[in-house]
Amino acid sequence: MSVLRAALVVSGSYYLAARLGFALTPPWSPISILWPPNALLLAALLLAPTRQWWVLIAAVLPAHIAAQVQSGVPLSMVLGWYLSNSSEALLGAAAIRLLCPRVPRFDSFRDVNVFLVFGALLAPLASSFIDAALVTLLHWGQGGYWRLVRIRFPANALAALLVVPLVLTWAQGAGAALGAPLRRYVEAGLLFGGLTIIGLLVFNWLDPGTRRAPALFYVPLPFLLWAAVRFGPMGVAAANAILAAAAIWGALHGLGPFYGSPEYNARDVQLFLIAVSVPLLLLAVLLAERRRVELETRGQRQQLAHLSRVSLLGGLSGALAHELNQPLTAILSNAQAAEHKLAAGGLDGAELKEILGDIVAADRRASDVIRKLRVLFKNGDTQLQELDVNDVVREVLDLAHGDLTTRHVTIVQRVDARLPKARADRIQLQQVLLNLVVNACEAMSADELHERVLRVETRRSAHDGVQISVIDSGPGFASSAETLFEPFYTTKPHGLGLGLSISRSIITAHGGRLWGSGAPGRGAAFHVQLLAALSPGGHAPLVQ
Amino acid sequence: MESPCVHVVDDDDAVLVAIGRLLRASGLQVRTFASPQAFFAQHAAEDRGCLVLDLSMPGASGLEVQEALAAEDCSLPVVFLSGHGDVASSVRAMKAGAVDFLTKPFEAEALVAAVRQALDRDCVSARVASLTPREREVLGHLVEGKLNKQIAAALGASEKTIKVHRARVLQKMAARSIAALVRMTERAGLKTAAQ
Repeated sequence: MSVLRAALVVSGSYYLAARLGFALTPPWSPISILWPPNALLLAALLLAPTRQWWVLIAAVLPAHIAAQVQSGVPLSMVLGWYLSNSSEALLGAAAIRLLCPRVPRFDSFRDVNVFLVFGALLAPLASSFIDAALVTLLHWGQGGYWRLVRIRFPANALAALLVVPLVLTWAQGAGAALGAPLRRYVEAGLLFGGLTIIGLLVFNWLDPGTRRAPALFYVPLPFLLWAAVRFGPMGVAAANAILAAAAIWGALHGLGPFYGSPEYNARDVQLFLIAVSVPLLLLAVLLAERRRVELETRGQRQQLAHLSRVSLLGGLSGALAHELNQPLTAILSNAQAAEHKLAAGGLDGAELKEILGDIVAADRRASDVIRKLRVLFKNGDTQLQELDVNDVVREVLDLAHGDLTTRHVTIVQRVDARLPKARADRIQLQQVLLNLVVNACEAMSADELHERVLRVETRRSAHDGVQISVIDSGPGFASSAETLFEPFYTTKPHGLGLGLSISRSIITAHGGRLWGSGAPGRGAAFHVQLLAALSPGGHAPLVQ
Repeated sequence: MESPCVHVVDDDDAVLVAIGRLLRASGLQVRTFASPQAFFAQHAAEDRGCLVLDLSMPGASGLEVQEALAAEDCSLPVVFLSGHGDVASSVRAMKAGAVDFLTKPFEAEALVAAVRQALDRDCVSARVASLTPREREVLGHLVEGKLNKQIAAALGASEKTIKVHRARVLQKMAARSIAALVRMTERAGLKTAAQ
């Protein structure tokens, strides 16, 4: 059913494209300035699975005949052109599919180059030889073989350059484009409206005179660059189409900066459009590719951070169970105490109220632990926000409380209550601090119980940054603290050695610093330094 | 002598209050301490009763408290509470003479039963402590089911003397019969005093 619909759509648009091609055919030439149906078929083949190609190629035959017969072309030539047109699309599509087995992506430099070489250069060239041979054999039209090749090739190459990117980018990105916010619509309106007006001015309305001509070609350039930078390949494809429409229309009617014989005008406009559209398309593709790679890298970093967070929490599961057991114990004992008293008839209202209050508080404490855990387990996008670092420290120590108690670690907090806010992702900062706290606890496991002291300090650092220090009383660093940050370096029997290196990459991505200090035998200290957030009436921002 | 009292030590305030409440509801006398330090600060050698000890506390473990008590020659029986059923710790605790090792969260019945057993043991050991060394020897032989004649032979005393000792032991231990005496020492988990 969907194949049938695709065939109908392709057939219908092929017909319209062929009519457009005839409309753009100058009276003095057998061949159009721009012949879009072949490019349209190529785009359709690239979007379709290979096994449906024959359906699409068959479907355009009636459209082809209908469009050509109207123009008074003899049937043998109509069929000959069907052969050369569909061979162009098929050759291009087959070569591209062979080299790039997916629908070519316009955020991949390689895919687009494959398309340019095979779809826009070699396939039109090869089919132009077939076309010219057929025309010569059937004695249709005037002009020698090579002249036919010379006229047909640029018309089809230009069509491929204009139509295929337009169809493919819209087929792949229409959903995202249509869902864009209003301001993007406004910007697109300004861009494409402006480009249309400029195109009409330059190529149709202004009487250039001979001296103004060369400069006029550059007037649309700012709009084209605007399209490339702000709207990517899809925007460039649309902008190229608008520019081509204006330029070709002008050239056909002897208007605009093209001057010379009509045939030279046709060739000039083709050359101009090819020379403009290829570099612009490549520029937009390069920008899109860079953005995609950036997003992928960020996604991978996030994935890695999430995985290390999950494994960190997995290692804490025993301690977290303990952390939940405490409030559960309090709830159960309180409830059973109330039962006992009730059975003995010695429970008064005030006492009951007190017990219920304690139960509610313990329940809240348990759900608090679960809520914090759920947040940490989530795999979400980085969300930078202004946050109170002291709050984050408290949350992390709450989460680590079970681990701290089962390891008999005494905690000493020294926080600066007048700390400026920092700009950071809350979850990632929690992860880094939790990692440091867990490491510190493990570092003290050989110490006497009463010597296991973990100090957590926050203070304002130089340049108005915010510094958090996690200091243990363990054996300190055997070698340089820096080696600890190397990936896969670990001192633990079951450690992966990724915690600290991931933590550092998180803090570095925040524009901050994570480092270790401390002398052997005197405990280890890790420091996180973050940029203070800009706050209007508060502290001066970090400018260095 | 102080009246028997359950001493509860746990660093978690909510749990401490709840356990205190539960034990009081079961008719026991309770004192709560938020840390081992607080307990030792108020502890006197003649305190009677038992100790309910959390295993996981910052700066010290319940096992260390147990060892410190043993070093002080304090015989308060201990019931351990733990947030996680750690086998190694429970074995160590039981070997060091703990009455029971409960994993949080526990049933009220389990805690109350363990505490009562600990109080029993304390009561019996208090009675044993009131015996003279000779009477303790006799007690050891009695719970092994030996006859007066055998005990007299073993201790090199006359049967008549042993009879007197035996009456004193039963009276001091508040046991009406040898069978009750055996039951009492077994229930309290005491090794016989003769060892």
